[in-house]
Amino acid sequence: MVDVSAPAPTTMVADSAWRVRARRAGELTLSLLKNPTTVAGLVFIVLLLGMAVFAPIITEPNTPDPYQMPRDWDALAVPPGSPGHILGTTNVGGDVLYGVVWGARTSLRLSVIVVSLTVLIGVTVGSIAGFRGGKIDEILMRIVDVFLSIPELIFALAIAAVLGPSFRNIILALAVVFWVKYARIMRAQIIHVKENEYVDAARVIGDSSWRIYLKDVLPNSITPVIVQATLDMGNIVLVGATLSFIGLSEAGIAEWGVLVSEGQAGISAGRWWSSTFPGMMVFLWALGFNLFGDGLRDVLDPRTETSR
Amino acid sequence: MQIRDYIIRRLMVLPVLIIGVSIIVFALTRVGGTPIGVYLQTGMTQEEVAQLEERYRLNDPLPVQYVYWASGVLTGDLGWSGVAAAPVTEVFLPKLAATMELAVSSAIVAVVLGVALGTFAGARRNRLPDHITRIFSISGAAMPLFWFAILLLIVFWVNLGWFPIGRSTPEIFARIDHPTNLYTVDSLIAGDFGAFKDAIWHLILPALTLGYGATAIIARMMRSSLVEELQEDYVDAARAKGLPERLVLRRHARRNALIPTVTVIGLSFGFLLQGSVVAEIIFRWPGLGRWMADSVLRGDQATIMTYVLFTSILFLVVNLFVDVIYAYLDRRVVLGE
Amino acid sequence: MTLLGDGGAAAPAVARASIASVVDLKVHFRSKAGTVHAVDGVSFDIADGETLGLVGETGCGKSVTARSFLRLVPMPPGIQAGGSILFRPHRACDACLGDGCEICHHSGRVPVACRECNGDGCAACAGTGHLTLDLLTISEQQLRTIRGNRIAMIFQDPGKALNPALSIRDQLSEVFYEHRSGELLEAAGLDGEVTGAVGSLIRRKASLRSRLLEDALFAVPPLRSRRNKLRSATDDRIAAALAETQIPNPHKIMERYPHELSGGMRQRVMIAQALACNPDLLIADEPTTALDVTVQARILELVRELQQHHKTSVLYISHDLSLVRRVCDRVAVMYAGRIAEVAPTEEIFSHPKHPYTRGLLDAVPSASHERGRLVAIQGNVPELIDPPAACRFTGRCPYEAAACREHDPEPVPVGSDHHVACFIHHPPAGTAAELPSYHRQVR
Repeated sequence: MVDVSAPAPTTMVADSAWRVRARRAGELTLSLLKNPTTVAGLVFIVLLLGMAVFAPIITEPNTPDPYQMPRDWDALAVPPGSPGHILGTTNVGGDVLYGVVWGARTSLRLSVIVVSLTVLIGVTVGSIAGFRGGKIDEILMRIVDVFLSIPELIFALAIAAVLGPSFRNIILALAVVFWVKYARIMRAQIIHVKENEYVDAARVIGDSSWRIYLKDVLPNSITPVIVQATLDMGNIVLVGATLSFIGLSEAGIAEWGVLVSEGQAGISAGRWWSSTFPGMMVFLWALGFNLFGDGLRDVLDPRTETSR
Repeated sequence: MQIRDYIIRRLMVLPVLIIGVSIIVFALTRVGGTPIGVYLQTGMTQEEVAQLEERYRLNDPLPVQYVYWASGVLTGDLGWSGVAAAPVTEVFLPKLAATMELAVSSAIVAVVLGVALGTFAGARRNRLPDHITRIFSISGAAMPLFWFAILLLIVFWVNLGWFPIGRSTPEIFARIDHPTNLYTVDSLIAGDFGAFKDAIWHLILPALTLGYGATAIIARMMRSSLVEELQEDYVDAARAKGLPERLVLRRHARRNALIPTVTVIGLSFGFLLQGSVVAEIIFRWPGLGRWMADSVLRGDQATIMTYVLFTSILFLVVNLFVDVIYAYLDRRVVLGE
Repeated sequence: MTLLGDGGAAAPAVARASIASVVDLKVHFRSKAGTVHAVDGVSFDIADGETLGLVGETGCGKSVTARSFLRLVPMPPGIQAGGSILFRPHRACDACLGDGCEICHHSGRVPVACRECNGDGCAACAGTGHLTLDLLTISEQQLRTIRGNRIAMIFQDPGKALNPALSIRDQLSEVFYEHRSGELLEAAGLDGEVTGAVGSLIRRKASLRSRLLEDALFAVPPLRSRRNKLRSATDDRIAAALAETQIPNPHKIMERYPHELSGGMRQRVMIAQALACNPDLLIADEPTTALDVTVQARILELVRELQQHHKTSVLYISHDLSLVRRVCDRVAVMYAGRIAEVAPTEEIFSHPKHPYTRGLLDAVPSASHERGRLVAIQGNVPELIDPPAACRFTGRCPYEAAACREHDPEPVPVGSDHHVACFIHHPPAGTAAELPSYHRQVR
C-alpha cells in the first residue's frame, strides 16, 4: 500500500520544492543586486574573468607556451606608454600588459582547481565526520584541529618548499592547506541539520542513509560552504601569488606574484610599473570575491549581520 | 570553577595538538625522500655517506626516525641551518627578537587603531564613516601584503625618501650593546636617544604594512560587535540614567564589544606571523620570516621544520591565552545563566 | 484633539497639578512596507503622586509611549511625528532638605517655579505656576539632567538592563556621580577644594569626566586619599539606596556583578538605581514580567511601598490587568496606538465602557467565570501601517456599526474623570451613519 501511494506525493513535493527553490533564487539575486558593494564586487569579478577568458584576443598568445612570458630583449624596463608595451616592461623585457592579462588566466586556473579540490575533500571529510559521528568523527576532527594549528601561509610555504618550486606544487600545497575549513563548516552544518524533523521523517519513511544525505542533508548544509568557496576564490589567488612572489613558482611564467617579484628589483631605480600593475590585479581579484562573498553571506545567512 | 575547568581542558588538548603538528612537520621533510642531501658535501665517498646515514639514523624505520628527531628537538638540538651556516639554536634567538619586535609593534598599532576605528564606525552605523571603514576593512582582507609593502616603498622610500629600509643604520646599531636583541629596548637601556629614533624610524613602514591587515580584521569585528551591543537594553538603561552619549559608548557599549574582539586579536596574531615572512623579505628585516623564506628557496630543512613548529606552537599558545581571557571577560557565557 | 480642550466639559487636568501630561503624542516608524503608526495621538495626564497604569496588548504602543518620556525611542527608524510630553520637575524641599516635612507633604520635593511668571501662573505653565518642560523639544543637555534624576525608568528584564561587565557599585555610582556630584564632594569633605588643578581634577572625577590618564593620577598619594574619601562617600549612598529596596548586606552586594545575582535581586538593584535620586516620576515598563511568579508579588509590593513612602508618581506599563488593579490609582487602556479608555481603577473594573476594555476584562479568568471556559477577543491587533480614519477596533468589535468605519472616535468624558473613545457614548456630529450600541451585537 505504501509502495503504491508513495511515488505520487514525492514527485509533487519535489515539484513544489523546485518551484520554491527557483523563486528563492530569484529573490536572492534581487536582494544581492540591491547592495552596491556586492554589485561592485560582481563588476570586478566579471571584468577579471572576462580578461581571463579573452586573454588570447587581448594579447597575442606567446608560442609555444602562452603561460610563459614573452621576452622583448630590445625593450628592457621601458616605462608605460612605450610603443608596443602599453604598461611597460620588466627588467628582463617581459611585457607587463601580457603578464597582467595572462595572469588572470593563471589565477583563474589556480583558484578553480584548488577550490574544487578543497571543496570536494572538505565536504567529503566533513560529511563523514558529521553524518557518521562517533570515533571516526573524533579522529577526523583531531586531524582538522592539527591542520588548523599551523598558520595557512606558513603551512603552504613549507609544503611547496618540500615539493620543490613549481606552479603545480603551489596548487598541491594550497589544496592540502585549504580543505580543513570546509570539513569543519560541513560537519557543523550536518550535525545541525541532522537534528531537523524532516530528516527524522525521511528515516521513518524508510529512506536509506545515502538517500537522506543526498536529498535532505546535503542541500540544506551547503550554503555556508558556497559562501566560503566564494571568499576562497579570492583568498587562494592571494596566497598563491604570495608564494609565487616568495619564489616558489617557476621563474618567467605569466603570474601576478612572479611579476611583482620580477619588478621588485627595479623599484629603487624608480621603475614602479612592473610591480604596481600585477599587484593591483591580485588586490582587485581578492577584493571582488571578498565583496561578493560578503554580500552573499548577508543574503544567504541573515543571522550574521555585517552591514545593515 | 568553570573557568578553571575550561583552562584545564584546553591545556590538556594543547600537547596533543603540538604532537600532531610535529608529526606533520616531520612527515613533510620525508615527503621529498631522505633529507640526506642537506648533509652531503662534495667529494664524499660512499662510506662517508653511509656513515652520515648511520649517524642521523636515516636507515631506521620512520617512527624511530621521528622519535629520534623529536627527542633532539626536546633537548634543544634543532639541527644545522645551511642558510645561516650555523646551528639553528644559535641563530634563532636574535632573529626571533627581530621578528617579535616587528610583530609586537604591528600588533600594538593594529589593536589601538582597529578598536578606535571599529568604535568610530559602529557608533555611526550606516553613515559615511561606517561605509568608509567597511571599505577600509574589506580592502585589508583583500590586500596582498607584498604589493602594499612595495607601494609604501615606492612612495616613502624611493620618491619621498622619508623612511629607510632594513632594520637599522649599521653604524648606529653597532655603537650600542644588545642584551635583549630588541633594538628599541636596547637603545633605551643604553640611553641612546639617537639609536632609539633610528629603531623607530626603521620600524614604521614594516609595522604599517604588517599592521594594516590585522587592523582591518579587528576594526571589522569591533564594529559589528559594537553595533550589536548598542542594541542591548543596558545601553538604554545607561542613557536613562542621564549619562552623556560619550560615556554610554565608552563605559558601557565598548567595554562589552571588546570581549568578542579579543578572540579576533588572537587570530590576527597568526596573520602577523604569516605576514612577517613577506614584510621581512621586502623591508630586508633580519628576522625569522626572511630566514624562513631563504631556507625555503634553498631547501634548508632544519630551519623550515623549526620555523613551522615554532610558529604553530606560538600561534596555539597565543590563542589559548586569548580564549582564557575571553572566558574570563565574558561572564555571561561561562558563568551566566 | 487634546484631552485638555476640545470636549469643553473636560475638567482641565492641570487643576490637580499633574506632574506630566502627554498631549497628542505621535511616534511613527519607517518600515519597508510603509509608515507604522505605533503611537498615534495619545493624550493622558499623570497626577502628582499617583500611579497610572498603562495597559494594552503587545505592540499597542505602550512601551514606545513610555520610552518617549526619556526620548529613548531610536530615531531613525522612529519618527517624532507630533505632540508633546509636558513635565513639571521638582527639586529638593528647602525646609527639610529632602527628608520630608509638612511643606512638601512628606515627599521631600517641591515644584520648581515657572521661569516666566515666577510661580504666579501664566500661559507657559498653563496657569500652574510650575516650571513646565516639553520633554520632546528640550536640549539634550537639559534632558540629561532629567533622565535618572527627575524621571527614572525600570526595565522589563533586569538581566538585560544591567551591564554584565560592570559591578553593581559601578552601575549605581554613575547615577550619583552624574546628578549628585556636588553632594558627594560635600559628604566627602572635599567641597573646599573648588579652585586650582586639584579641585578641578576632583570635580571631574566626581562627575565621571576623568580621562584614562587622570584616573592614573588618582592612584598617586596626594590624590589617593581624596579618591578614597570620595569613594567611601559614594559607597555610603549606594548602600543606603540598596538597603531601601531591602537588599541584605548592601556593602557586599555592590561588589557583585549582575550575573551573580538572582532575577529578583537584580530587579531590586534596578529599582534602587531608579529611586537613587528621589525622582518625581518613575516609569516602570513591565517590571515583573521577566520574574518568577513568587518574586513578582514581592517586587510589586516593594514598588508600591516605595511609591507611597516617597510620594513618587509612577507610570506603570503592563499587559496584566490583575497586576494593574493591585498597584494603580488610575488606568489608561491603550489599543493600536490610541488611548481607548481612561478611568480610576475601581471605575474601570466595575464599569468598563469601551468594548475593548470589556473584552480585556472578560478575557481575565476569574472566580465568577464558568470553569474551563476561556474568553478571548476575536481577531488580532490590526496592522498599524498607514491606518485609515476609522475606529481602530473595527473588525474585532462586537458592536461595530457603519459610523465606526467612517469616523475616528476621540476620548470624551463620560463621567467624573472617565474618558472613553467610542461612539456608543458619544456619537460623531453630523453623520447619518448607523451608530453602535451595546444592544445590537454584530456577532
